[in-house]
Amino acid sequence: MAFASKRLAKELHKIHGSLPPGIELVQAEGFDEWLLDIKVLDANPLYMNQTYRLKFKFSSSYPIVFLIEPPEVTFLNLPDRPIPMHPHIYSNGIICLDLLGQQGWSPVQNVESICMSLQSMLTGNTKNERPEGDEGFVKHNRKRPRDIDFYYHDNTV
Amino acid sequence: MPPPNTPGGSPPDLSPLHITVPPNTPFNHGSPRSRRTRTARNPYSIDENKVYEIGPSDGVDLRCLKYVSEVDENLLCPICHAALVDPVTTPCDHTYCEDCIYTAWKSNPTCPVDRSPLILPGDVATPPKIVLNQLDALKVKCPCCGDTLPRSMLRNHLSRYCSNALVKCPDEVCEKLVKRKDEGKGCLHYDSECPDCKEHLQEIDMESHREVECENREGICQHCSETIIRCKEAEHLKSCPEVMTSCKWTKYGCQHGALRKELDAHANECRFSTVGQMAEMLQAEISTLRDQLHTLNEKDKAQERRIKFLETHPHFNFSDVSSQSVSRLPDSSPTAEFPESRDQYLLSLLESQESKVDQLSVGLTELEAKQTMMLFNETIPIKEQLAELRSAQGVIGMHVRWLMNFRMQERRPGPGAGGSSESGGPGGDGHRRLSDTMRDVITKL
Repeated sequence: MAFASKRLAKELHKIHGSLPPGIELVQAEGFDEWLLDIKVLDANPLYMNQTYRLKFKFSSSYPIVFLIEPPEVTFLNLPDRPIPMHPHIYSNGIICLDLLGQQGWSPVQNVESICMSLQSMLTGNTKNERPEGDEGFVKHNRKRPRDIDFYYHDNTV
Repeated sequence: MPPPNTPGGSPPDLSPLHITVPPNTPFNHGSPRSRRTRTARNPYSIDENKVYEIGPSDGVDLRCLKYVSEVDENLLCPICHAALVDPVTTPCDHTYCEDCIYTAWKSNPTCPVDRSPLILPGDVATPPKIVLNQLDALKVKCPCCGDTLPRSMLRNHLSRYCSNALVKCPDEVCEKLVKRKDEGKGCLHYDSECPDCKEHLQEIDMESHREVECENREGICQHCSETIIRCKEAEHLKSCPEVMTSCKWTKYGCQHGALRKELDAHANECRFSTVGQMAEMLQAEISTLRDQLHTLNEKDKAQERRIKFLETHPHFNFSDVSSQSVSRLPDSSPTAEFPESRDQYLLSLLESQESKVDQLSVGLTELEAKQTMMLFNETIPIKEQLAELRSAQGVIGMHVRWLMNFRMQERRPGPGAGGSSESGGPGGDGHRRLSDTMRDVITKL
C-alpha cells in the first residue's frame, strides 16, 4: 500500500499549491488532520459573509484513506467559524453526505472535490434548519462520523 | 503485488511539508535516515531521494517510482495519481492501474469515476498499444542506484544489472543477501568489530556503519584539525592543506617539499616549472606522434599487400575481386614468385564463393518457406470447400433417398400388399435408418 501513502503526499502537496476560489488552506502538516476554510460564493442569504472551517481527519485508516475509505470530514465550531445551517448538517458539525460514507465514496475524490461538493451542497440549500432529531443525536452520539449509519433519503439538496 | 511494508498503524516517518517546497522537487522529509527504516526495507514510503535495497524476492511497485520528468496528466491513474501501471480500461472508457481498480472494486463494485456498475475481470480490456508504449517509455529513476532508464526496463535492470540491488550471498551455505556490487568480495556475513566504536556488527554493514551511523565516526585530522570521517582519512590526506607534499615537478628534479597550502606560493618561483611544463608538452606531443606513427604503419602494411597483389596479377581489376569467376582462374597465370599473394587471391575467391553459396542457401530456404506457406494458404480453403461439398452432397443424397423412398411407397399403396411389403419393408426401413444416421452426421458436422 505504499503507493497509497504517496497518493496522500501528492494530495497534501496539491492543497499546498493552488485551490479553487472560496477554499483556503488553514493548516495541513503531516497526515493527522488538515484544516480548510470554505465560503459559499454566491449570494445565498443563509451563508452570506460567513466562513466555515472543515476538518479532515485521517485516523486509523491511514494510508488506505482516499483509496478505499473516505477521510473523516466535519465542520468545526469556533468563535468566528460557525456550523452552517443545513438540513443535513448536525449542530456538532457532523455532515450527512453520501460521498463521505463508505458506500458513496469513490477513490477518485480528493480534498478539493470534497470541498467543492460541500460548497455546492450549501449553495443549493434554502432551508434554514437542522436535521430531524438533531438535539438527540448531538446529545447521544458517541460514534465517529464514519461509523454512523446514515440513511440517505433526500436527493434534493 | 509487493509485500505491504507499510508501518502497521504507526504514523509514517514523514515530517511536515512546507509551502515553500518547489513543485518539481520531491518532498522534504526532515526525518533522519535511520538504520531501522533501512533494515526494515521499506521501499514504499514516499521519500524519493532515499536509496532502497531491493532484493531478488521483492517485487517493485512501479506506482511508487520517481519519474524523471513530470508525467503527462492524461497518463495518470485517477486512483493512485501516479503514471498508470498495467492499465485496464472499463466499458465506460475509464482507465486505471490494474491493481488500483481491483482494490477499489473490492470495496465498491462500480467504476470510481462515473459509478457505472462494473464486473471484474470480465469487463475490463487492455488499452491500445500506443498508450502502453508511451507508459513503457517513461523515464524513471532506479530506486536502488538512481540510474535513469525507461520504465519497461526497470524490472530487468533490478533483477540483473543494478549494482545496488540485493542478490544472494556468493557463499553457498550463507543464505543472506548482498548488494550486487559486493558479490565479488565473497561472504561478508561474519562478525567484525568497528575500529572506531568497538561495536560488533557484520562486516557487510561496516562500510555504511563507519560512514553514517558510528558514534565515533568523526575524527580530527592530525594535520589540519578539521573534523573528518575516520574511514575516509586516506582520501582526506590527499587534499588536506596541512600535509607535507612535494612539489609537482618532483619527477623533473625539484627537491622542494612544503605544506600543501604553501605549495602554490612555491609553484610560482619553482625553477623547474619552465622545464616541467616544457617536458609535459613534449611528452604530450610525443604520444600523439606515436599514435600517428602507429596508424601510418598500419596503412603502409596494407598498401604493401596491395602492391604485391597487383604485381602478381597485372591485368587484374582490383576493385572486382568478388565478381571474379572460377573459370577465369587458369588465365591468371600463377607464378611461383609470389605464392603468398596467389594464395591470398585464391582465398579471397573462395570466400566470395562461399558467401555467394551462403546467400543462395538462405534464399533457397526463404523460397521454400514461402512456397510452403503459399501451398498451405491455397490448400486450406480448398480443403474447406471440399468438406463443404461433401456435406452438401450428403444432404442431397439423403434428400434423394428420402424422395425415392417416398415415391416407392406411393407406387405401392395400401397395407395389403402382402409379401411385397414384407420384402420392401425392411428395405424401406433400412433407407430410413440410413438417412437418419446421415442426418445425425450432418448435424454433427
